[in-house]
Amino acid sequence: MNRPSRPSEFELVGRVTIGQYLPTNSQVHQLDPRAKLLMVLLLAIGVVASDSLLGLAILLGGVALCLVSARIPLGYTLDGLRPALPFLLLLALLQILVIPARGPCLRTVWEWAFFSVTDRSLLAGAVLALRFVVMALGISLVSFSTSTTELTHGIEHLLRPMQTFGLPAHEAALVVNITIRFLPILAAEAERLLKAQASRGADFGPGRFGLLTRARKLLPLLVPLFLISLRRADQLVEAMEARCYLGGKGRTNLIQLRAHPRDHLAVLATSMVVALVVYLGSIDVEGLILSSILPCPT
Amino acid sequence: MSQPDTLISVQDLAHTYLRGTPFEVPSLRGVSLTVAAGRTVGLVGPTGSGKSTLLQHLNGLLRPQEGTVHVLGDSLTDPSINIRDIRQRVGLVFQNPEDQLFEPYAGDDVAFGPRALGLERDQVRERVRQAMEAVGLSFDLKDRLTSQLSQGERRRLALAGVLALEPQILVLDEPTAGLDPLGRRSLLDFLSSWASDAKRAIVLATHNMEDIALLSDDVYVLVAGKIVLSGPARTVLQNADVLLQSSLSLPVSVELSRQLRRRGLPVSTDSLTMDEATRQIEVLLRGDS
Amino acid sequence: MTTARAPLIRAEGLYYSYVGGTPEPVPALRGIDLRIHPGEYVAVVGANGSGKSTLLRHFNALLQPDAGNVWVHEWNTREAVHLRSIRSSVGMVFQVPDAQIVASTVEEDVAFGPENLGIEPEALQVRVREALDAVGLTGYEERASHALSAGQKQRLAIAAALAMHPRCILFDEATSVLDPQGRLQLLNTMQALCSQGLAVVTVTHDMTEAARAHRVVVLHNGEIAMQGDPRSVFAQENHLLALGLETPAPTHIAHRLAGRLPFSSQIPVTVEELADEVAGQLKLHGQIPQSNPMQPGGAYP
Repeated sequence: MNRPSRPSEFELVGRVTIGQYLPTNSQVHQLDPRAKLLMVLLLAIGVVASDSLLGLAILLGGVALCLVSARIPLGYTLDGLRPALPFLLLLALLQILVIPARGPCLRTVWEWAFFSVTDRSLLAGAVLALRFVVMALGISLVSFSTSTTELTHGIEHLLRPMQTFGLPAHEAALVVNITIRFLPILAAEAERLLKAQASRGADFGPGRFGLLTRARKLLPLLVPLFLISLRRADQLVEAMEARCYLGGKGRTNLIQLRAHPRDHLAVLATSMVVALVVYLGSIDVEGLILSSILPCPT
Repeated sequence: MSQPDTLISVQDLAHTYLRGTPFEVPSLRGVSLTVAAGRTVGLVGPTGSGKSTLLQHLNGLLRPQEGTVHVLGDSLTDPSINIRDIRQRVGLVFQNPEDQLFEPYAGDDVAFGPRALGLERDQVRERVRQAMEAVGLSFDLKDRLTSQLSQGERRRLALAGVLALEPQILVLDEPTAGLDPLGRRSLLDFLSSWASDAKRAIVLATHNMEDIALLSDDVYVLVAGKIVLSGPARTVLQNADVLLQSSLSLPVSVELSRQLRRRGLPVSTDSLTMDEATRQIEVLLRGDS
Repeated sequence: MTTARAPLIRAEGLYYSYVGGTPEPVPALRGIDLRIHPGEYVAVVGANGSGKSTLLRHFNALLQPDAGNVWVHEWNTREAVHLRSIRSSVGMVFQVPDAQIVASTVEEDVAFGPENLGIEPEALQVRVREALDAVGLTGYEERASHALSAGQKQRLAIAAALAMHPRCILFDEATSVLDPQGRLQLLNTMQALCSQGLAVVTVTHDMTEAARAHRVVVLHNGEIAMQGDPRSVFAQENHLLALGLETPAPTHIAHRLAGRLPFSSQIPVTVEELADEVAGQLKLHGQIPQSNPMQPGGAYP
């Protein structure tokens, strides 16, 4: 018997993989959340500051290694990237075809009308794609291996020095915590709304329609979802006030974070790798490698 | 006596949420159920038993992963059927349906369904009027802002929105949840009168046993994705052992009969509703004076 | 229920209207005079729109009166300086389980309240442990709060309120989203807390629930239409019907049988009591032998 390939076009909740916590209790899981947050920050610096494909490949390898050591199924992680894939490919293609590359030695690989693809532009496209993948995997790694509690405490502790400048550390951390925690709840509400409206004949199908019509078709989902979110926010505020929440000042904490030597080591190791990666970018290592194999057109 | 037509037939239905991910959870494990014309089917079970999942198969929101579901002659495992047609003929009303209202003006929200069907303006207007009046809302309310209606009115408005599609089968998930006693009574009255048409059927999922006792002809008890008991309402609702083991409560009249029998009174277990229980006790008491 | 001690919560001439959304302010409470005493179990009932939930929110100073006053102990709810004391003494459990969970683990959610009060970490540990114990959630400390069942979430909310060492807990339709088993468990927990000296004020639609209280307060259009112990309130079935309410099912049946069943002591509010009454009547007239084993009638199921 021929069955429809996907049982339901409405199953949103489980497909949102960012923000999920997979408690496998690995070494990575046991790192202090502050260390992990700092590592992601360093990763971001490396990703942004380095133009080197080799460098980014090293970062990718590092992140992949951490994912394996954290016992996160690789397939599941990559699955979470799938929705972004078409968008990414489009950007990479634009980078390769449209954005003119710069550099001392440009070797043309392919030409057609006013499109020209050089070795540099190919590299640039690959770098763009890799940047995204590394960052997405890095963030996934942190969220898979760190519970929301730990994350919130990590963020709060890291932001504490900023309190002297007036930054409300606890409030900020609380906002992050509640946002992450309510994502699956709101996804469930959205799923319920999609189903309810579809049951009334709503058509959320892909557009054979103009942009305005397509936006209007989403109203039966967006308006109630927005209203529900506002209502939940109001209710949560009431609950917090009822428990005497008046901001972060004067609060104590049940959970205290304690750093271990392995946390310091992890951050140190990461900074060294990132430093290497940035260095590789600064010396244009790809240019050097290519020039040593192929002649330079003048 | 002719057999009533089978409107919906569910055979060995199985469903797993998030199949293929580390979070997969089986929610239905081989469920079979029949909805016949002119009957009201009650589906009871504790939270998490799979009631909502089962309901969502009845109008094609979920397609069977295993087993079959036949709705009004169409098989839901056939990918070529017109699913929108099914969704018009089987009206599914979710829990707290007032949450799904999105149009600023009440009448427009009820009109959403008919408009989606592509009806002409006059037809849409007529459908809205009939639907609103059927649920006890004055047609004048159509120009009121949805946000200004009371909770009871908004729930009725949401129900009208589904009725405006003129479904043959109504499927409701916890319809009286959160209503005050007045609201509940008027909703139950409406459902009872809507179901009196012999071509229609209702499927009602709830853990409110009084609602079930009042409306159902047939009852299915769902626990952890399996039907543990099914049959005519009178039989099922008096099986106190199974009901209590399934973390459900008993309809008051059934509980009353049990308590009376524990005190040595000769009570047959036939009463389902409070009216029947009252009459039964009257008979008992009349016997002594 | 003795009322010799000073009231915990006192409302006098309480008026309150909602502003916004409509051109005119909507009056919700119109001159409420009410007292809640220590250790008392009070059920507030009324049709939708009668002002029940609004009234409840005045008891922990989430709302302040437009006219009249509300005192918790001797603190006036209008005075911002007393907010902390008032809210730690009067806790609240809301209707929607998810929308009152603040932290991602059970222990942290319970600790949230006392943390706000600046309680020391060692004392926090003790409070969390005791609160979880009181609601039967010991061992759940590190569980994800959102992974609990609805009934467990409500018990978590109670623990979170208990951790602040309150004298009273308010319940705003806290059982309405629960299935029968969850509802029963929650009601039993509420009763246990009350027997330990906590005052309980609960807003509910469920008359069987209200029957458990020491006192039932019936609101209608923002005013107190009736109040008294459950039996005396439920005895007035016609009045309740006129107010858009009903009586618990056993009471309703008893009313219908009134001609044939003169109530020996008081009107039954539970199934057991009704069964007792009926059995008692039939025994009196020799319908059943005296030596039949009888279940002891209890006030609460």
